Amino acid sequence: MVPRVWSLMRFLLKGSVAGVAVYLVYDQELLGPSEKTQAVLQKAEEVVPPAVYGFSQYVCDQTGLKVPQLPAPPKFNFHLRDSWNSGIMTVMSALSVAPSKACEYSKEGWQYLKERIK
Amino acid sequence: MSDSELGRKWDRCLADAVVKIGTGFGLGLVFSLTFFKRRMWPLAFGSGMGLGMAYSNCQHDFQAPYLLHGKYVKEPEQ
Repeated sequence: MVPRVWSLMRFLLKGSVAGVAVYLVYDQELLGPSEKTQAVLQKAEEVVPPAVYGFSQYVCDQTGLKVPQLPAPPKFNFHLRDSWNSGIMTVMSALSVAPSKACEYSKEGWQYLKERIK
Repeated sequence: MSDSELGRKWDRCLADAVVKIGTGFGLGLVFSLTFFKRRMWPLAFGSGMGLGMAYSNCQHDFQAPYLLHGKYVKEPEQ
């Protein structure tokens, strides 16, 4: 009798955890249109860093520990177009100077070897 | 479609893909831990579902200006 009740309770607990997760996803419309998910991402960017900061301050106050200053939180909303363009420009400029740089480095390497051999 | 609008659509697609894949992975993780004895397939299934939904949204977003929407107009009986 007791093992059956325990297994039923375990099933209900697992079911409730899964149900809460599904409800959260449905309520926040995380699997909905792309405008809604972009709004959720912006909201998360505004809400999460102050919440983390507040929680760390609370832990410091309660435990008396001194937490060092954390670096700035990463930006969730970056612009792919700007990153892509700057990446392309970096790659192209690296390719354009590659032959002259290779020549320069090989000359320096040859000089170094000659001095070592002397 | 102008360049800035195209860039905005790409940004929206990327953000949407990240959120949907993460959500699918999270749901798969919850179901894997609760009902499926820590197997890997719910995670893969959830991530794949999220990726597919994001791809479908992106496809609709990019094709939207070029789709023609029509409707049937009932002619009045004479």
